[in-house]
Amino acid sequence: MNDLTSTTELSALVIDDEPQIQRLVTTVLEANGYRVATASSGAEGLATLVQQRQDLILLDLGLPDISGIAVLKRLREWTQTPVVILTVHDGEPEKIEALDSGADDYVTKPFSSGELLARLRAALRRADRNKAEEPVQRFGNITVNLAARLVTRENQAVKLTSTEYSLLRLFVQHVGKVLTHRQVLREVWGPEHEQKTQYLRVYVQRLRDKLEPNPDSPVFFLTESGIGYRFSAS
Amino acid sequence: MWFTFNNRIRTFLAPAWRQYAAAILAVVVVSAIGFLFQDWVNYQTLAMFYLIAQVLLALVVGRWPTLLAAVLSAIIWEYVFVPPMYSFELEGLYDEMTVLTYCVVALVASELTARLRAHQETELKAQLLSESEKLGRTLLNSVSHEFRTPLSAILGATANLRAQGGISASQDRLIGEIESAGARLNRIVQSLLSAARLQGGQLQTRMDWCEARDVINASLRESAGLLNGHPIETKIAAGPHLARMDFVLMQQALSNLIANAAIHTPSGTPIEVSARFEDKQLLLQVADRGPGLPAGQKEHVFDAFRRLPNAKPGGVGLGLAIVKGFVEAQGGRVAAANGTNGGAIFNIWMPAADNPELPEETL
Repeated sequence: MNDLTSTTELSALVIDDEPQIQRLVTTVLEANGYRVATASSGAEGLATLVQQRQDLILLDLGLPDISGIAVLKRLREWTQTPVVILTVHDGEPEKIEALDSGADDYVTKPFSSGELLARLRAALRRADRNKAEEPVQRFGNITVNLAARLVTRENQAVKLTSTEYSLLRLFVQHVGKVLTHRQVLREVWGPEHEQKTQYLRVYVQRLRDKLEPNPDSPVFFLTESGIGYRFSAS
Repeated sequence: MWFTFNNRIRTFLAPAWRQYAAAILAVVVVSAIGFLFQDWVNYQTLAMFYLIAQVLLALVVGRWPTLLAAVLSAIIWEYVFVPPMYSFELEGLYDEMTVLTYCVVALVASELTARLRAHQETELKAQLLSESEKLGRTLLNSVSHEFRTPLSAILGATANLRAQGGISASQDRLIGEIESAGARLNRIVQSLLSAARLQGGQLQTRMDWCEARDVINASLRESAGLLNGHPIETKIAAGPHLARMDFVLMQQALSNLIANAAIHTPSGTPIEVSARFEDKQLLLQVADRGPGLPAGQKEHVFDAFRRLPNAKPGGVGLGLAIVKGFVEAQGGRVAAANGTNGGAIFNIWMPAADNPELPEETL
């Protein structure tokens, strides 16, 4: 973590047409050691990205020229730079579309700067981690050994069905990232079961029952209302 | 151009009597032309003029006036113009066929034109409706955006101010005031937008299988800041509690019920949130230990802007109306009652008769 944020200055591009949001995000990011570039339209954002490489992109979905989704699809054609979407509360279908089109995460307006920074850090960490994956990962009193397909809780082996394990592995491989229902169903059950949200509801509950300290108030398997799930490391 | 012209004619011809008058007038005009120019126009050519008038008429008037014109023109044409003139007699097979053809073509042309027009009108209506819906949605989205942007700036700036440190205790308290006011304003904006969506029929539901436990957790997380010292007790039996719902709407409905209970009951009294199946329905319930609902108010608590006489300040009086609107939009129903051992009970029922298909698996 530290080698990520302190040794080199990170660059972020903010694409948002609202000057006030631009100023606010710039202030927050600069106060936390980012070098910030801004763009007020999709076209300007894409042009800036071509000129200078960025470590992170913050993208507003409601842009004046081209839709944020279109910008996202265009830039995903040539770069895997983490993209965090800025959006409003009622935009669930929009959020899902953005996530399915390759966005890494989203923050909902109005957002707190703490929440924004946490999302950005998580996205950066994932981008970095993709290079070398740890076979054994620890979350609280849970250990997941991906090499040995072994899961323990307080050093006791936890018995999981093969579907439960596939689901857990998917979550662990995308720690901190929101996964849409479609993404999870496609990965774990296959593309022909993409619509069967009921599977997901039941299996997430089973994982919570087996792994959460208190299944009724989950800390690992978090529900993202109307969108999907997020596996949280803390 | 043609469209406005056409519209003007249609507006003028809206009353039925004008349509019949136009039909008679059209027949009379063509007959007069035929009569005045009978030396140059033979009866077969005149039939073509009648047909043209017939089709033009069908474009602007309804089916029955068109039919009247068809019958009327056939009679006048046959009686006056088809030889022998001024008689219904016909000379030979050729004329019989001509009269028959005229009648069939006139009737078919009017019927087809009328159908085409009816189809066009339905399409136009649907198009206008979807355009007004789209406009309404765009307007609401832009209002939402206009409210949320300054709110984001206020809430983001205060949090950042605090994070920068070096502030006195009283400054910290003032920042806290700005924060809670901003959060409250945000909730009010949310309520007003939800109510506007309900009112304008702009609410779109996304129904999918949801787990009651999940929805309850999410609502508790959402209303955590509003609990005001009320302990929460959740009661759900083990095993899946699935029903088809719109997760976001149901979460909002439950949060509103929890916030409502937290505002209107004495601080420190518990609020119980539970879910269970009852009569092939999923029952989501929020029960409090407050004073309960006054007699005669159970039916009215879900009305917009209705506040109970002794209600504490807080909220704009839309919370429960939104609960009802959101639940009914999902095909469920709501009811309020008083518990046997005091306190108010708010119930949400969702249909849950069709059990979802679930995968079987063993360890």
